[in-house]
Amino acid sequence: MTMTRRTVLAAAAMAAGLGMAQAQEPIKIGAINPYSGPLAQYGDEATRGFELGVEAINAAGGIGGRKLVIVRGDAGNPQQGIAAVEKLVSQDKVDLFMGTYISAVANAASDAAARHGKIYFEAMALASDLTERGLPNFIRGGPNATHFAERSVQAMVEFIAPKLNKKPSELKVWIEHEDTIYGTSIAQVQKRLLEAAGAKVVGVGSHNFRAIDLNDAILRASNAQPDIWVGTGYVPDNTLLLRTMRDQGFKPPVAMLLGTGDSADFREALGDFMDGVFVVGYPHADLSEAFAPGAAAFVQTYKAKYNRDPVAPQSLSAFTEMMILRDLLTAAGGTDMQKVRAAAAATDKPLKTYTNGYGVKFDEKMQNQRAIPNMVQWQAGKTVTVFPTDAAMAGTTLVNIPRAK
Amino acid sequence: MNTFLNVLLSGLLLGGIYALVSLGLNLIFGVVRIVNFAQGEFIMVAMYATYACFFFFGMSPYVAVFIIAPGMFLFGIIVQRLLLQPLRDEPLMQVFTTFGLLILMQNVVLAITRGEGKSVAVAASRTVIDLGIMKANAGRVIIFIVTAAIAGALLAFLRYSHAGKVIRAVIQDRDAARLMGINVELTYLLVFGLGAALAGVAGSLLAPIYTLQPQIGGNFILAAFAVVVLGGMGSVAGAYIGGLAVGIVESFAGYYVDPALKQAIWFLIFIAVLVVRPSGLFGRKGTEELGLRQH
Repeated sequence: MTMTRRTVLAAAAMAAGLGMAQAQEPIKIGAINPYSGPLAQYGDEATRGFELGVEAINAAGGIGGRKLVIVRGDAGNPQQGIAAVEKLVSQDKVDLFMGTYISAVANAASDAAARHGKIYFEAMALASDLTERGLPNFIRGGPNATHFAERSVQAMVEFIAPKLNKKPSELKVWIEHEDTIYGTSIAQVQKRLLEAAGAKVVGVGSHNFRAIDLNDAILRASNAQPDIWVGTGYVPDNTLLLRTMRDQGFKPPVAMLLGTGDSADFREALGDFMDGVFVVGYPHADLSEAFAPGAAAFVQTYKAKYNRDPVAPQSLSAFTEMMILRDLLTAAGGTDMQKVRAAAAATDKPLKTYTNGYGVKFDEKMQNQRAIPNMVQWQAGKTVTVFPTDAAMAGTTLVNIPRAK
Repeated sequence: MNTFLNVLLSGLLLGGIYALVSLGLNLIFGVVRIVNFAQGEFIMVAMYATYACFFFFGMSPYVAVFIIAPGMFLFGIIVQRLLLQPLRDEPLMQVFTTFGLLILMQNVVLAITRGEGKSVAVAASRTVIDLGIMKANAGRVIIFIVTAAIAGALLAFLRYSHAGKVIRAVIQDRDAARLMGINVELTYLLVFGLGAALAGVAGSLLAPIYTLQPQIGGNFILAAFAVVVLGGMGSVAGAYIGGLAVGIVESFAGYYVDPALKQAIWFLIFIAVLVVRPSGLFGRKGTEELGLRQH
C-alpha cells in the first residue's frame, strides 16, 4: 500500500511538471461506441457517463493540469470500428481510446489502435477472450463474461439457497442459454462452478436467440423441476422465454437472467410477471454509500444535466471507468502506452473504492479483477439492487421468492 | 401421453404462425413469381404500425388490423407498380430490389425506434386459455383460428370467384392468359397487394405475442420460405398444411431431440421432400419450372 502511494505521489509530481509544460494541450479521448443502429441507446448512455466523468475531472483541474476532451467515434460493427480509429488518429489526433459496447467492435478497434501505439481502455465489452490476445495497448477496467457467470453462481449459493431454506448441495438448477459463444461460455462457467459448490445442474438448454417459439425449451426445463432457472440471452429470446414460462404456468421458485433483463423493455413486455425475477448485470445506481461512494451524487449530477434518471446502468459504469482511467493516467504521468500499462500493473485499490463499488487490481493480462457485476430484483416495476448484500440500500427486502405468480 | 399432446398442441399453434406468414409469401411467389425477400419486413412494419396504433390511440391490435391490412394492401400495390413492374423483364433485378427494400425498411425502423424493444401489452398477450391438456396463450389461439379462416376464404376465393379463376389462369400459364385477354399486370398488382395485406394481418396478430425489434421479420421468414417450397408454390392449401407440418416437426424435434437442432431437422425434411417431390407436397407438377420456361 505504501509502495503504491509513493508511486502515485511520484507520478503525480511528474504529471504536474508535465502539466506546466503542456498546460494548453488537452488530452483527447476517442470514445468508440455505437451511436447509430440497434445498440445506439447504450452507446449514447455510456458516453453520457464518460462526459459526466470528464466534466468532474476537468472541474477538479484535469490531469496534471491538462483538460480532458471526448471525441466520439461511431462504430456498430468491426469495419466501422477500424475506420473510426483511423479517423480519430489522423484527423482528430486523439491520445488514447475508450470503448465499447460491442465485443466484436472492441476486438477490431483495439487492434487498430495498437498499430498506432495508443492505449485502448475498455470499459464495457464483455467477451472474455479480448484480454487473451496479449495486445500491448489493451486494458479492461470493466468486467468480462466470466465475472457475470461467477457472480450469478455466487448469488445462488450464498444468497438464494438460504432464502429457499436449502443447502447449496440441495439446489437444483436449470441453465438456459442462447447458443452463440457468448451464452455458451457463460453456461459452461456456471455449470462448472455450481457443480464445484455441490449443487445439482438438472439440465442445460440452448436455443437460438432468433427463435420464434421456445415452448420446447420451457417444457424441458419445467419437467426437470429446478429450484432455480437461470437464462442468458438477448432481449428477444429472454422476453420470449419469460412469456412462454408465464403461458405454460411454469413457476420455478427462482428465475434469474443474465446480460439482459434489467431494462424498461422487459417491464413493458411482461408487466408484473417480472416481479421477483433476479438480473445479474452492471451495477445499478441504487447502491449504499459505503459500497459505492458517490453513486447517489452521480445520479443527482446526471439528473441535473439530462433532466431524467439514468436510462440504463451503463452510464454509471462508464463514469466509474473514467475515474479509473483518470487514476491510471495520473499515475503514469501521461498517455504513453508503456507507462500507462506499468501504472495499471502497480495499481491496487480495494473493492468499494469507486462510484459503483469497483476496485482496481489488474491481472497479468490487464483484466481488472475487481470490477464485478451486481444482482438486482424486479420489485413492483422497478429494479432494486439486492446482492451483494452490502451493496443494497438499508431496509431492502425480497419479493415473490419462491415465485407464486 | 400428456407431454406428447402438449408438444403436439404447441406445435400446432406454432404451425398456425408459420402458416399465417407463409400465405402472403406464397401468393406472391406463386402468382407474381417474385421471391419477395422483404416479406418479413412487411410483417415487421405492420407490427410496428400496430404498436403505433396501440401506443398513440390505445387501439387494440384486433381493431387496428382493419386499418393496417388495407394500408399494407396499398403499400404493396405501390411497391409492385413503382419498383417491381418496371423490372418485369429482369427477374434477378426484382429479387435484388426486394432485398434492397428489406435493408431499407429495417434501417428506417431502426432509426426511428433506436432499436429499443417494444411490446403491445394488451390483454390477449398475457391471457392464458386452459385447453385441458395444456395452457395456451390467447394471442396464439386467435392466430390459429384466424389463419384457418383466412386459408379457407382464400381457397374459396381462388376456386369460385371470377378473380380467383383469373389468378389461377395466370399461375398456370401467364402467356396463354394474356392471349385470352386477361390483364396480367393488373392481376400482379392486386395479388402483390393481397400478399402485402396478408403480411399486415400477420403483423397485427403477431405484435401482442413478441417483443418488437427491427430485425424480427427475418426470424419468421426463413421458415416461411421453407414452408412455401415444401407446400408447393401458389398453393394455399400447401402453405397452410405445410405451415402446420413445419410447426409440429419443430415442436417434436425441439422437445424430444434438442432445441438447438430443430431447424436442422426440418431443413433435412425440406430437402428430402424436394428430392422426392420437386413441386412440393401440394404444388401442381411443373410449377417449379414454370418460372424458367417463361423467361
